[in-house]
Amino acid sequence: MTDRSAAAPASGKLLERLLDGEPAALAKAITLVENAGAQAAQVLAGIQSRLGHALVIGVTGPPGAGKSTLVSALVGELRRRGKSLGILAVDPSSPLSGGAILGDRIRMAEHACDPEVFVRSLATRGHVGGLSSAAARVVDLMDAAGKDVVIVETVGAGQSDVEVAQLVDVTVVVCAPGLGDEIQAIKAGILEIADVLVVNKADLPNAERTMAQLEGMLSLRDPGAAGVPVIATTATEGRGVAELSDAVEARAEALGGSVRAARTLAQIRLQIADSAAELLRRRLNDSDDEGLHALCRSVQRGELDLENAARRYLSDYLVNKA
Amino acid sequence: MSDSTKSISPPPRVLVTKIGLDGHDRGSRIVAAYLRDAGMEVIYTAPWQKIEAVVKLAVEEDVDVIGVSSLATDHLLLPDLMAALGEAGFGHVKVVAGGIIPDGDEAELLRAGVSRVFHPGSPREDIVATVGDLATQARAACANG
Amino acid sequence: MSEQPVQLPLPGFESARAEWRRDYDGQAGQDGILRNRSGIEIKPLYTCEDWGEERYMEDLSFPGQLPMTRGIYPSMHRGRTWTQRQLVGFGTPEDYNHRLKTILAAGGTAGSLIPCNSVYRGYDCDEVELPLLGTCGAVVNTVDDMDLCYRDIGVGELSTAVNDPLPFTLLALLLAVAKRRDVPWSRITGTSNQSDYISHFVANHMFFRIALPGSRRVLVDHVEFCQTHLPGWNPISVVGQHMQQGGATPAEAMALTLCTAIQYAEDCRTRGMDPDVFLPRFTFFFDISISFFEEIAKLRAGRRLWQRIVRERFGAKNPKAWRFKFHAQTSGVDLTRQQPLNNVARVAVQAIAGIFGGLQSLHTDAYDEVLSVPTEEAARIAIVPTEEAARIAIATQNILREEAHLTDVIDPLAGSYYLETLTNRMEEEIEATIARIDAAGGMFAAAEAGLPQDMIGKSARVFQEKVDSGQETIVGVNKYREAEEPTTAPRPLERPDQSAMEAHLARFRAFKAERSQAAVTAALDILARAANAAPGTPGQNVYEKVVEAAMAGVTHGELCACLRRELGFGQPLVMP
Ligand SMILES: Nc1nc2c(ncn2[C@@H]2O[C@H](COP(=O)(O)OP(=O)(O)O)[C@@H](O)[C@H]2O)c(=O)[nH]1
Ligand SMILES: [Mg+2]
Repeated sequence: MTDRSAAAPASGKLLERLLDGEPAALAKAITLVENAGAQAAQVLAGIQSRLGHALVIGVTGPPGAGKSTLVSALVGELRRRGKSLGILAVDPSSPLSGGAILGDRIRMAEHACDPEVFVRSLATRGHVGGLSSAAARVVDLMDAAGKDVVIVETVGAGQSDVEVAQLVDVTVVVCAPGLGDEIQAIKAGILEIADVLVVNKADLPNAERTMAQLEGMLSLRDPGAAGVPVIATTATEGRGVAELSDAVEARAEALGGSVRAARTLAQIRLQIADSAAELLRRRLNDSDDEGLHALCRSVQRGELDLENAARRYLSDYLVNKA
Repeated sequence: MSDSTKSISPPPRVLVTKIGLDGHDRGSRIVAAYLRDAGMEVIYTAPWQKIEAVVKLAVEEDVDVIGVSSLATDHLLLPDLMAALGEAGFGHVKVVAGGIIPDGDEAELLRAGVSRVFHPGSPREDIVATVGDLATQARAACANG
Repeated sequence: MSEQPVQLPLPGFESARAEWRRDYDGQAGQDGILRNRSGIEIKPLYTCEDWGEERYMEDLSFPGQLPMTRGIYPSMHRGRTWTQRQLVGFGTPEDYNHRLKTILAAGGTAGSLIPCNSVYRGYDCDEVELPLLGTCGAVVNTVDDMDLCYRDIGVGELSTAVNDPLPFTLLALLLAVAKRRDVPWSRITGTSNQSDYISHFVANHMFFRIALPGSRRVLVDHVEFCQTHLPGWNPISVVGQHMQQGGATPAEAMALTLCTAIQYAEDCRTRGMDPDVFLPRFTFFFDISISFFEEIAKLRAGRRLWQRIVRERFGAKNPKAWRFKFHAQTSGVDLTRQQPLNNVARVAVQAIAGIFGGLQSLHTDAYDEVLSVPTEEAARIAIVPTEEAARIAIATQNILREEAHLTDVIDPLAGSYYLETLTNRMEEEIEATIARIDAAGGMFAAAEAGLPQDMIGKSARVFQEKVDSGQETIVGVNKYREAEEPTTAPRPLERPDQSAMEAHLARFRAFKAERSQAAVTAALDILARAANAAPGTPGQNVYEKVVEAAMAGVTHGELCACLRRELGFGQPLVMP
């Protein structure tokens, strides 16, 4: 398989087209970034001055809660409010084959022909935390391409899906009645990251009970949770979606400007660490270095343990070549 | 097993979809699972996609191959899809069709630029290998074009 | 059941079995457990240890009597054979009229109206791409179109199976024609063949038009309307075929079909209708795969379960309500493009299974029309059968009946140790799936949550894996291939005459221009109001308004668009 990032169009021209908001350029740039192609760094450097326009919304919650359906309904509402949108939908890669079926678009058919709605599906490719490792950069690309709103839908694995809060302005946590155990997951993890809480499938029986349960849990959360609104929606019918949009916009307003711009230094340091680790992993995997092959063989023969192999790789090879 | 210690870089991206009016998806579900199990990333859609929606999807998802399943004459729209992809500057994307496609119509589709037509009973290995090869070709064509 | 003691120890039974075991166990490759498509273990030999005469009355009894295993009528096929029902569709209303006349001239009394895919999707002919028009069935959008379909034919003269998903616009157009010709509606007979919206949501997405809750309401309105106005009409046909062709195992397909029927019956009862009145009008439609004994057992077990369900769950007292009436079609999924004449043998085996299963009506596929696809799709002429293939399909039925004498004896396989054991095992398997659906809150809720879709997808993959690995043989495809593969002759898709189709479009536009726009607007307003009234509100039966609108000149596409708007667009639950 050829690496398609190897001979991609000149990054300068791509950057220009991307900043112009051309969908094909945005799509190619995402591919470059996802595959850590050669020009990815240049493109990313080129967009830095253009960031901060988009309001970035994260949508997380258990599988089947109706995230994709709700995103589609939210997109409809925001389109009516005149916004252009970028959507990043993440689905899991199979740990066995590395392949994936990316099906979130099934529920977004309504916007299939709307040029102001750009949707990209990404697979996790082994990344844990509910996102793909490229997610933060993809959000930046959509922002730079001029989207007014960017929505990130996570895998929905439950309590591990907290990473999204670090790269969005407003985090919407979606749950639905009748998911039973998932309430526990919400309690244990993702409730803490919610800026807005949604009980979707309000048309189902028990929706009110779920609302009450969540409100109860919220009151046990830290004092900062006081302002977290709980909204009932029926995504399939678009009910409650205008209220959700209002709540999201109010929240963003309250937080003042782009929240992403107000990341703490500690958060940024974490993100740099993540990016560096990812870069390293990729470089290690793609390298044709003979010394690296030799290291692998030593571990296979039992002459070297993993920890020391890693240390040796870092000191011997990487440092020399970085 | 090769003695290379490297694993394969970016998985092929394949769109599995249905155009036109029919909605039977047993075939497309199975093919999507085949491709996933072969390590590809499959974008799966609802049936009844408009041609312009398929083009938009191919562009946004930056796919290498589009697989269209047709069981009830919807393949008649494939020449329109080929033309629309070309117009959008995505002529490098390879298109394959599968399902009930009369032999007499196959030649017409191939002439229109469809890379391959799979008939009922096509072996799994053939489908997977063909799509994999076409993805490689599409990437090469994209890089050169 | 298998624990039943042998009533009369058979002389030599033990030693015969011991010898047989030694012989059998000595053969290579006999260690694995063999299972049928429904996952039931199939033993190499069945004896009176598995099923014995002492169970005769409980399991079988007599034809036309509870538990109905042996058939729903006292004389079954010896008394009346099944109806031969072949599908006709394709092209313009004139084309349909022509085919219908051919059938009537040949002595037929039953027709099947198969509309074009554009009609299935709820569109008029001016809303879809021209190349797709009429390729799969007749383009019928207006009362004038329907009138043309029945030119020189009395609408009350033949029973019609209308392949017409809800909101049943084609039946409405038919009723409008009857009104126009002064034919009383009581003389209109036939079946709403595609009323099973749950199967469309789950397995046959093409036919799904209106969101689930709206569909639920329209169906009950339709049943209510038919009960009042159309005593000769079967408003509900529950279609197991869609699920099985989507990949469900025979046991799953039967179970999901029964669950769907239970759901519809419950919804009708909730509306206040009497089960003893509406249940006798329920009909079913099944796929017959080539898994011969399994299919026979499936149909017998289904019949036995249905009488129990209607009596236990619905307290049905009317013996007509206990009857499990079904049409069956040989499965196109088993037919192959490779070595196509082999399909003649396959269709014959499938048909025999259906006949021994006690069907009321049969469609046999032509060997070259349907190839590994949902039959009711391709049968609608994706590939037109050659004249010879169509003749062979009909001849197969005649040969089985009149040369092979399959109908001389009622339920002739009854008492077979194997078949009775298998029928009981299939019944258990079906009941287990019914219990799963019950636990999920019934078929409506289960479908909404994607449970049957998940089951069907998994079963489809399991079966495909068996084919891929060669565990399940398909002659000419994964075994016994020939170097030079004969396939069907390269025939292009038969396309309707373009100029005729364009003339039809022009006529359609003229029809719309000439009708009373005021009447159309008024009728659509009334329909919208009914759709927004609470279900069951007196005077607000949605289907009644559909029929009235059809009489006012509203088209098929306009009716569907109105209800899509008022009741929600029918996006089915698509699952990868
Ligand atoms: N009854 C009901 N079903 C819904 C609602 N929203 C979504 N669904 C259904 O829930 C299922 C899962 O939805 P999806 O958006 O794919 O969930 P995700 O996995 O969280 O992205 C689908 O069948 C939707 O149609 C709702 O508001 N009410
Ligand atoms: Mg989703």
